[in-house]
Amino acid sequence: MTPRALLHDVGPVALAAAAFVLGWKLLVVVAGYPTFVLPAPEVVAQRLVTAWVDGTMEPHAAATALEVAIGFSVGSTLALGAGYLLARSPLAGRLLSPYLVAAQATPILALAPLLALWFGTGLLSKVIICALIVFFPVAVSAMVAVRSVDRQLIEMASAFGATRRQVVAGVEIPGALPVVFGGIRVGATLAVVGAIIAEWAGGEHGLGVLINLARGSLFDTPLLFATLFTIAGLGVGFYLLIVLVERRLVGARG
Amino acid sequence: MFGVAPADRGGRGRRGAVFALGILVVLGAACQGRAGDTSSGAAAGSGSAAPTPLVVGLGYIPSVQFAPFYLAQQAGYYRDANLAVTFENKIDPDLITLVGQGAVDIGIADGTSVIPAVSQGIPIRYVTTIYAQFPNIVYAKASSGIRTAADLRGKSIGTPGKYGSSWIMLEALLASADMTPSDVDVRLYPDFGQGTALAQGAVDAATGFSNNEPVVLQLSGTPVNVLHADASVPLPGNGLIASTATITAKHAALAAFVAATLRAMQEIKADPAKGLAAAVAQVPDLGKDQATQRAILDATIATWTNANVAANGYGAIDRSAWAATVSFMAKLPDGPIAGTPPTVDQLVDESLLPA
Repeated sequence: MTPRALLHDVGPVALAAAAFVLGWKLLVVVAGYPTFVLPAPEVVAQRLVTAWVDGTMEPHAAATALEVAIGFSVGSTLALGAGYLLARSPLAGRLLSPYLVAAQATPILALAPLLALWFGTGLLSKVIICALIVFFPVAVSAMVAVRSVDRQLIEMASAFGATRRQVVAGVEIPGALPVVFGGIRVGATLAVVGAIIAEWAGGEHGLGVLINLARGSLFDTPLLFATLFTIAGLGVGFYLLIVLVERRLVGARG
Repeated sequence: MFGVAPADRGGRGRRGAVFALGILVVLGAACQGRAGDTSSGAAAGSGSAAPTPLVVGLGYIPSVQFAPFYLAQQAGYYRDANLAVTFENKIDPDLITLVGQGAVDIGIADGTSVIPAVSQGIPIRYVTTIYAQFPNIVYAKASSGIRTAADLRGKSIGTPGKYGSSWIMLEALLASADMTPSDVDVRLYPDFGQGTALAQGAVDAATGFSNNEPVVLQLSGTPVNVLHADASVPLPGNGLIASTATITAKHAALAAFVAATLRAMQEIKADPAKGLAAAVAQVPDLGKDQATQRAILDATIATWTNANVAANGYGAIDRSAWAATVSFMAKLPDGPIAGTPPTVDQLVDESLLPA
């Protein structure tokens, strides 16, 4: 990437970030908010650096990243299979769709304590919660994507003697990928939300646990903000990773 | 970078900046709204005829434990003091921040939470003791053989998390027997299921409140042993807190509120049925099992008194207990105090107590 292209790409993002920080600082100065209500950006930045340097943040961030990675992988893999089944089997669609929608409509916040009770407060319950929250958008996007693949292409491939496996690998998957990745992008951000909710339901490590500590025990509002920025950074990083994979497989979106 | 079409990137960057500023404006308006509530309340307090509005923060769930507040409201003690009191139920961390901000005028909070909050610069003071005995305890079935803190060595203890008043109490209790949490098997129940776990035999002991879980378990026919940390470290129990600004702006109103509440406490101690009736009137659901609620109220009344209160009256603040607690919490390796530990003068304010 040339410097000019990089500037073109990153410039607007940096401009928006600078405007946000400037507005935030102005708000704190003009309104005179104390640190425990709204800390200034430099206070949060300093706390963010301190929390990483003194080792407060790292174990929590690592725990959450692991939960997100495993939960997203499990949830999206199962969802892709389910989405394909829903698209190609009307019976499966009729049987499973109502339950999928009902599961999605049930607040994960209410389910999380139950799952922690059944599966403990370790990694398993967190992976399940992440997988559950990722499942619906990925499954629905996969179903829509497979259904939207041009029937004529499939028929043409079959007419040329392609096996079922060759049709799936050569026609359906490439045709469905752009739409599937739309759901995967949504799922990637939701996976981070799922991990935080799971950590609120129990556990010793994780950025959700650190939020509870900062808010409920330490009354450390700058640390609370620093943790929120770390969560946002984790979400953005994970999202960008998905975008990179998408670009490799599908190409840049217009 | 996010898959935006090149021709549209500049426009989206500008829109992003506008959106970011928009978020800040909304955030500012929300914060300003709360600050505005405070100033209007303070202004009303300066009037002579109109009742002074007071927003009072109680614990998360309306309960018989708040009977003095309900009785004072229903019997008109607050009204007679020219106060217009409204109750809000909040969890401890939210309440402390809201009180510090001035959005809640006075509220009941745990003493061990006040110390880290003040160390972080939240301008609050503990103004009246309600629970003279620290209500957080460890309890076990009598059949477990756990009778003292030393008996906990190697045992499993259920607790919601390694933070907050229960955790501080557990550390104090274990320290009294020369132990640390590493000498026991701590099991976390963030959904507060440690009581159920104890009842089902999943843990040997659990943290709880002296006026709640052990009372209920005992009533169900299971004899219980209760371990208090007060003997080793006299931790300050829940009491009323207010912000320094509110104490100044509404001093007379807050003092009248404290006096009316203490009057209700004395009346309930003399006649607990009065407190139960007030609680049922406030929260009709409590009337479904009045025997249990009465037992909880009796246990609550017992926590209102200790040697200091017996000598100085309801509401009295034990400064030596506060000093001992600050000293204890400052020594904890994972202690919640930030920086230099606050002094007792930075934590308590006795000016609202009756002379």
